[in-house]
Amino acid sequence: MRDPRVAHLGELIVSYSLALEPGKVVRIDAPPVAAPLAVEIYRAALAAGAHPFVDVALERLPELLLADGTEAQLEFVSPIARAEVEAVDAIVTIWSESNTRALSRADPDRQRRYIEATQQLAKRRWARMTSGELDWCGTLFPTEGHAQDAEMSLGEYERFVFRACHVEEPGDPVAHWRAASDELGARAQALEEVRELRIVGPGTDLKLGVEGRRWSAADGRLNMPDGEVYTSPVETLTEGEISFTFPALFHGREVTDIRLRFEGGAVVAAEAARGGDYLEALLAMDAGSRRLGEVAFGLNYEIDRFTRNTLFDEKIGGTMHVALGSSFHELGGLNESSLHWDLVCDLRGEGEVYADGELVWRAGRFLEQPEPAVEHV
Amino acid sequence: MSERLRRLADVIVGYSAGVKEGDLVVIEGTANVEPLLNEIYASVLQARGLPSPRTTLELDELLLSEGSEEQVEWVSPAEREDVERADVWIVVDAPSNTKALTAISPERQAATQRARKALRERYLERALNGELRWVLTAYPTTAAAQDADMSLSEYEDFVYAAALLDDGDPVGRWRAFSEELQRAAEFLNDKEELRIVADGTDLTLSFGGRTWIAADGHENFPDGEVFTAPHETGVDGTIRFSYPAVFRGRQVDDVRLRFEEGEVVAATAARAQDFLEEMIAVDEGARRVGELAFGLNDAVGVFTRNILFDEKIGGTVHIALGSAYPECGGQNRSALHWDMICDLRSGSEVYADGELVYRDGRFLRF
Repeated sequence: MRDPRVAHLGELIVSYSLALEPGKVVRIDAPPVAAPLAVEIYRAALAAGAHPFVDVALERLPELLLADGTEAQLEFVSPIARAEVEAVDAIVTIWSESNTRALSRADPDRQRRYIEATQQLAKRRWARMTSGELDWCGTLFPTEGHAQDAEMSLGEYERFVFRACHVEEPGDPVAHWRAASDELGARAQALEEVRELRIVGPGTDLKLGVEGRRWSAADGRLNMPDGEVYTSPVETLTEGEISFTFPALFHGREVTDIRLRFEGGAVVAAEAARGGDYLEALLAMDAGSRRLGEVAFGLNYEIDRFTRNTLFDEKIGGTMHVALGSSFHELGGLNESSLHWDLVCDLRGEGEVYADGELVWRAGRFLEQPEPAVEHV
Repeated sequence: MSERLRRLADVIVGYSAGVKEGDLVVIEGTANVEPLLNEIYASVLQARGLPSPRTTLELDELLLSEGSEEQVEWVSPAEREDVERADVWIVVDAPSNTKALTAISPERQAATQRARKALRERYLERALNGELRWVLTAYPTTAAAQDADMSLSEYEDFVYAAALLDDGDPVGRWRAFSEELQRAAEFLNDKEELRIVADGTDLTLSFGGRTWIAADGHENFPDGEVFTAPHETGVDGTIRFSYPAVFRGRQVDDVRLRFEEGEVVAATAARAQDFLEEMIAVDEGARRVGELAFGLNDAVGVFTRNILFDEKIGGTVHIALGSAYPECGGQNRSALHWDMICDLRSGSEVYADGELVYRDGRFLRF
């Protein structure tokens, strides 16, 4: 039986996130467990006159490759996959997993090389997105595995996910996201006036230079759900300390109570209560993995709790996050890395943010609404 | 089950496809056959090949019922890339429901066949040039068991027996069977013409100068037949197919065809005659015979409504309407390739150049 919420989510992604036009070629990447959403996106894409096809990623294959693959196999990037990235007009990635920890015990060094290989495709995809040749949207279909990580039943977790996407309640999800887009756009524009941000909270006093960088409104086009504003900070200007109260996850591995100290933009000290070795390995991945590629405000207040999934956690209304590793070139970022690891800092309690010395955010809320975005004629 | 599945994958990858270090191996299948796709992937890794999974969902019915004509005829860039770049192509064909397309109009199905003709020809061309090795295999699903009138565990036993996996050295068994099939092919390669006589059947097919090939588990798995492409204008007489003819889930019963100079001039069926007529009208080549073959795998004893197995039933002959295999010297081109099977295990005779060579499902000598 079709779940109307899943059908609405499929339509939202096709008509709003990707705004698919007739004749466009769209690839839908999904594991088998996400088949219901993949089918609804496929159906909506057909209705839009596009040419959809589904690329199913079997979930056990990375585990088999990491366990048994030779060096050549581990680092192999299929020429077919390379050609596909060039040929498609749009990609939807459904990140669902039936077991989010299937790779927790994989050898970190082999995993790093595998990720570096897959990053070659991701980089090319980002380049085509930046130049406007490719539309992309990442989303999630609720599974038992994700519900378990979120410490919810599957039914509760489905309501959480669909509420965050605004397809749970009756009404027009596209209208909701258009309104959210206007508000986030105005916020991003206001932040472009700022030269320096200072984040203050428990265990945190961090300054970031953002002068000359562009802020982007994440308004449901690249991710669904969405709701953040983000930029790439100046690579050499991050100074101070930050503590992350939420556990940080990367490829199924959890690192808890991370504290980082920055000097001249680079991490000079890092500690964690659990997973410190993995943290060190990720920081040592390459020259860019010790610097920040992103700083962002989470502004989706339907997402009100930590669920161990970055797609949602980085948008929790009232949080900020920074990412170690690659930055966004289209926003002026220069940092290159195979890593992009989002770390979320909860500021809903005692958090304060100052913009060029002025208090602009307290306890998870901006103090003032931004001026509406100026219409460009 | 999982142990046999692993052995099945090992034979497909090691014997059928002969995957070598560095081969780019496309593994095609739908998500419902995930257990076998996983095992094939693992076997390809062990053989030091480079696996390139092409897994999708069972979306044909949705596309054919809701898609526009343009969408139905569209071929994805992914398929084109696979066809151009693969060194090895392993296809697992095992739908969850073999009748899911029953309500789709025959002309829509014919349109998808036509749209894929160029791709199919390119695939066969690369295979002929030795640039691409392909294997088509199956997986025991409940749908296939149901079509075979068996329980799933009975059907699993049938599949693994047909694949000669039931003793310790399946590759050795396949090598021995291959030699037997080669002898049958050599015997037929000296002949010019066959006449098949059975209940409702008296059909003469000429093939002098064409090549008989032993299908010994390399392109189909399981396997066990010898086949050729008869002369496009050299088929005359009538044939009655004792088994239902099944194409894309549609079943046509008691098909009778009359040929004159290679062309179907009369086609009747007890059921679904309209589908039969629609398919043989797909294009020019669909009215001619692209393949003539003998099924020789005695471990496939019963009809199971799955052509991969049925055409290998020991003691049967089959012909295919539509495209011919160029490696046999066949020239017929078509978007169609529809195998139809005739049981010869009782009351039948086959004459080669006038001499009786086969009776009641057995070659008399070769």
